[in-house]
Amino acid sequence: MESWCGVTLLLQQHLKILSAGLKTYELPQDYSGVVIPEKPKLKFLNKVPNFKKAKKEMKRLRDIQGPAKGATSFTYGQYAIVAMGGGYLEWGHLEMMRLTINRQLDPSTTFATWRVSAPYKPITRKGLGQRMGGGKGAIDFYVTPVKCGRLIVEVGGRIELGEVEGVLNQVARKLPFPAKVMSKESLAAMHQEQAEKEANNQNPWTFQRIARSNMLGLRRVISPFDLHNHGRFTGKFFNPSRV
Amino acid sequence: MEKNRREESSGGARTEKRCLPLAQSVRHGSKAVTRHRKPMHILKQKLLAVTEYIPPKPSAAPGAYPSQTKRMEQESGLVRFLKKKVETTFEECKMLVVVQNNATNAEDMLLLRHRLHKHDIAIKFFPNQVMRSYLPSSQYRNMLPLFIGQTVMFVSKEPKVKEMLRVLRSSPQMILLGGCIENTMLSREGILNYSRLPSITTVQGELVGGLTLMTSQTVSMLQRHPAHLSALLQQYIKQNQPGGTPESTAPETTPKTEGAAV
Repeated sequence: MESWCGVTLLLQQHLKILSAGLKTYELPQDYSGVVIPEKPKLKFLNKVPNFKKAKKEMKRLRDIQGPAKGATSFTYGQYAIVAMGGGYLEWGHLEMMRLTINRQLDPSTTFATWRVSAPYKPITRKGLGQRMGGGKGAIDFYVTPVKCGRLIVEVGGRIELGEVEGVLNQVARKLPFPAKVMSKESLAAMHQEQAEKEANNQNPWTFQRIARSNMLGLRRVISPFDLHNHGRFTGKFFNPSRV
Repeated sequence: MEKNRREESSGGARTEKRCLPLAQSVRHGSKAVTRHRKPMHILKQKLLAVTEYIPPKPSAAPGAYPSQTKRMEQESGLVRFLKKKVETTFEECKMLVVVQNNATNAEDMLLLRHRLHKHDIAIKFFPNQVMRSYLPSSQYRNMLPLFIGQTVMFVSKEPKVKEMLRVLRSSPQMILLGGCIENTMLSREGILNYSRLPSITTVQGELVGGLTLMTSQTVSMLQRHPAHLSALLQQYIKQNQPGGTPESTAPETTPKTEGAAV
């Protein structure tokens, strides 16, 4: 009898050891300040702006060049698609974004907003096979110029990054410029990392220093735009590794 | 492709000493913003290569020193609870042996436990993390290198090493690493030697035998034939008095001893 009791006790003790463990869980996010607006889905953007008379515009490629001045930080949302280069967003891109994101949105918990306006810049095209000359072409379509660092779409609500990351990545890949999905924290971290890099750079020679003091007469091969942007931007392209 | 845009100027800035040339050539390259990456002037390429980012070098390799921040991690409740258990085990048990278990079935483990249970030896499983946090603060800090990998502890109140080794012989995958028996750290060889030591009673018997060796020898000598004893004593006297003749007492003692023997 004693030996039988001992055996069951052993069994119980053995089983207990095999199953013991403690998992520490991460605290769930606090969504107290999150307000989901009445119309949580992305609104429809017009292909053509409401003009009485459409005016042809010059190319003005400087609206693609360099870093963005406005719409570089978050307003109501938590996650966004951030442009990592310059380019033009056409109505087709905007429609693709709107349809894909609206399809995946759960209107009770998530909302999305545009951070770019509807296309307003007219692009002209001449007919096929036309020779040079004969005036400027007719307006073909409208575009929205986007500079590097601008937010395109902002998404927020009672959600984690993992839930929206897939959709936003899918959309970001299809845009005409390189784009990244970022959260508020990751954007701030990126800025901070850049500042830290600038501070702890072991190279005594920096682009800014050489260009500003025109060492070796290098202003001859550097444009004033490069000087102003410390060599980080070339046309519409952005080099994140430059300090 | 160099982009030199100089307007065709008929006038230009003219001073007394210098003046711009009358006619200047105009060359049109691509615009500043292009869809492709524009080929850069070699000097600009060199400038960008020279002004690249150089990160700071860490003074020590990343894994050289233990990070201080890691130690300050708050231990979870389970770890603290297990630590207390470890403490009580160490205080109670005289024999603690660390054994490495390699791929033991639950069935084999159960059989092993049963066999050891008959000799009152318990098997304890403690996570290595708990041991590593407890041991340095206690007196058993030299046992730290034993707790690497999958280890199991055999603990008992009485040091029964022989029985334990006999049981371990049946399971070859359990490898003895070392342990602490009666407050002495022992390696594997030490434990084996400890098992070969004779028991206390035999040691005591040996000690007593060694102490009473001389007296027992004299007793046996007296019980032998007296002629042998007298010869021994004569020899002893000869040694003590060098160059001396055998004394007159020698023949006198013989009748006395003969009388005693009878």
